[in-house]
Amino acid sequence: MPSGQDIAALLPFLLLVLGALVLMLSEVFLRSGGRGYQSGLTIAFAAAAALAVPFAPQQVLFGGQAVSDGFAGFVTMVVCAGLALSALLGRGWLETRNMERGEYYALALFGASGMVLLGMATDLLLAFIAIEVMSLAVYSLAAYPRRGQRPPEAAFKYFILGSFASAILLYGSALYYGATGSTLLSAMRGGGGALLAAGLSLILVGLAFKVAAVPFHAWTPDVYEGAPTPATAFMAAGVKAAAFAFLTRGVLAMVAGTPFAVGNELGGVLGLLAVLTMVVGNLFALPQRNVKRMLAYSSIAQAGYLLVGVIAASRPESRAQGTSAVLVYLAAYAVTVIGAFSVLAVMEKREPTPDAGSADAWDVSRFAGLASRRPWLAFAMAIFMLSLAGVPPTAGFVAKLSVFQAAAGAKAWGLVVVGVLTSIMGVYYYLRVVVAMYMQPAEMEEPAAAPPTVAIAIAVAALLVVVVGFSPEPLTAWARAALLRM
Amino acid sequence: MGASAETVLFWIFAVPLIASAAGVVAARNPVHAAMSLVSAFFWLAGIYVLLTAHLLAFVQVIVYAGAIMVLFLFVVMLLSLTDAELGLEKLSALKWVGVVGAAGMLVLVVSALAQSGPRAMRAVGADFGTVRAVGRILFTQYLLPFEATSVLLLVAIVGAVVVAKEKI
Repeated sequence: MPSGQDIAALLPFLLLVLGALVLMLSEVFLRSGGRGYQSGLTIAFAAAAALAVPFAPQQVLFGGQAVSDGFAGFVTMVVCAGLALSALLGRGWLETRNMERGEYYALALFGASGMVLLGMATDLLLAFIAIEVMSLAVYSLAAYPRRGQRPPEAAFKYFILGSFASAILLYGSALYYGATGSTLLSAMRGGGGALLAAGLSLILVGLAFKVAAVPFHAWTPDVYEGAPTPATAFMAAGVKAAAFAFLTRGVLAMVAGTPFAVGNELGGVLGLLAVLTMVVGNLFALPQRNVKRMLAYSSIAQAGYLLVGVIAASRPESRAQGTSAVLVYLAAYAVTVIGAFSVLAVMEKREPTPDAGSADAWDVSRFAGLASRRPWLAFAMAIFMLSLAGVPPTAGFVAKLSVFQAAAGAKAWGLVVVGVLTSIMGVYYYLRVVVAMYMQPAEMEEPAAAPPTVAIAIAVAALLVVVVGFSPEPLTAWARAALLRM
Repeated sequence: MGASAETVLFWIFAVPLIASAAGVVAARNPVHAAMSLVSAFFWLAGIYVLLTAHLLAFVQVIVYAGAIMVLFLFVVMLLSLTDAELGLEKLSALKWVGVVGAAGMLVLVVSALAQSGPRAMRAVGADFGTVRAVGRILFTQYLLPFEATSVLLLVAIVGAVVVAKEKI
C-alpha cells in the first residue's frame, strides 16, 4: 500500500502534473487577453517541483517500479531548470507571434512530468509509460504553431518514427518479461540467455532513438528544425536528460545482474554506438550553414559524448566517476543548448509563414556583424558556442573533461581519442558562428530587439555556463553526491 | 483438458491470427486492413482464454475489437481515400532493406526462443485472471504505472486537441 513517504517522494512529479492542470484551466477562466502570467505560473511550478526534491525521502517506491534517489533528484532538477528557461523563452517567442496559449505551457509541464518519472523509473513498464507521456507532449509541442508546412511535417515525422521506436521498446520489454518473468530492471539478476539478450538489444534500440544516437538519429535534424524554437530547446534539454537517465540506470542494472559476459559484449555495442554517434554527428554538422540544423547535428554529437560517460559508468572501476560525469554533462548541455536556441529565437526571421522559401531563416549569414550591433547578444552566443565546443572556461569544457576523465579511468583509451578528435572537429563549425558575428560585416537588416523574458533566459543561461566554467566544484560535488540506488 | 487438446486449440487460434495480422499489412484498402485487425483481435482473445486470462479476453473483444476499431473505421471511412491517393505500392531499395532487417529480427527471436528451450508454465491459482484478481494486482503492485497511465491518456487528449486546431 502506498504510504505518505511514497507520495512525498513523488511530489516533484505530482506538482508538475498539477501545474499542467492549472495551466489548462487558466485558459478556461481567461477574462482578458492577457496571458503574461502563464509563463510565470509554469516557472513557479517548475521551481516548486525542484524545491520538493531535497525533501523527497530516499527510498524505493510502491512495488519497486520507481526509486527516489540522488540520481533521480539531479535529473529532476535539470528537467525543471530546462522547463523554466524554455518557458521564459516561449513567452517572448510565442507572444511576438501572437500564439501564446495555456496549452503550450500545459503540454510542456506534462512533458516535464514524464521526464521526471522516467528519471525515477526502475521498471520497463513504468519507463514505457513515462516515455510516452514525455513523447506525446513533445510531439504536440512540435506541431503547435499552425503556420506553414514545417511544424506539422516535423511533428508527423517525429510521431511516426517515435511510435516505431516505442513499439520496438515494447517488443524488447515483452521478450525481457518472457526471459525473466518480471519487468523490473532488478529482475535481470539471475536471468540470462539469448532471449534476454534479444530483449535487451531491442530495448537499447528504442532508447537509442530517444537519445538520437547514430544510426537511430535520422529524425533529429528535420524535427529540430521544424519544431518551434522554444519547443526545440525544451526537447533538446529535457528529452535527452530523461532518456539518458533511464539508459544509465538500465546499463548499470545490466552490468550488476547478468551472468553472461555482458561487460565485453555490452561495452562493444555501446562503444560502437558512441563512436558512430560522435563521428557522424560531427561530420554532418560540418557543412551546415543553417544554425538550427547545425545545433540538431550537434545534439547528436553530444549524445555520443554522453554515451562515453555511460560506458565509463558501466565499468566497476569508474562507476561513480562515470555516473557523475553523465549528470554533469546533462546539466551543462541543458543550460547551454537552451541559451543557444534562445539567441537563435531572437535572430530568426519572423514572417507569418516561416517556411515559404526560407531555408535561410536560420542561416549563419543572419549572424554576420552581430557583435557591432548587439554586443551582448553576440557575446552570449559566443559563450554558448564555446561551451558546446568544449572550450575553457565554460560549462561545456567541465562536462567534456569529466566524461573523458571517467573514460580514462575505465581505460577506454580508444573512446577518449575519438572523443577528443571529434571535439576538435566540432570547434570548426561552432566557431563559424562566432567568426560571422565578430569578423564579418553586417549584411542583413537590423535584428529585432530581444523580448525581455528571452533576454532574461539568455542572461541566466550565459551566467550559469560561465560560473560553472570558472568554479565547477559545486556542480561536480553535487553530481558525485547524487548516488544511484538500484 | 488434456495437453494435446490445448495444443490443437492453440493452433486453431494461432494460424488465423497470423493470417489476419499479415492481412493488415498486405491489404491495399484501409477498410480491409482495419477489418483484418478486428479479426486478429478476436483470435488473440481466444489465446488469452487458453491462458485462463478471461478478463483480458473480454476486454480485448469489448475495448479493442469493439470500441477502438469502430473509431478506426470511422476515421478511415471519413477520409475515404481513393486508389489514386493511396498510390501504387513500389518496392524501393529501402523497403528491401526493411524486409531483410525484419527477416533478421525474426531469425534472431526464433533462435533465441529455441535456445531457451521448453519451460513449464507457472502454475496459477484458481482465481487467476478473474476481475477480482486483476483488480487487486492493479491497485496494489501496479498502482504507480496504473495512475501514470491516466496522465498519459490526458496528455494524449490535450495533444490531439492542440494538433487538430485549425489555427493558433
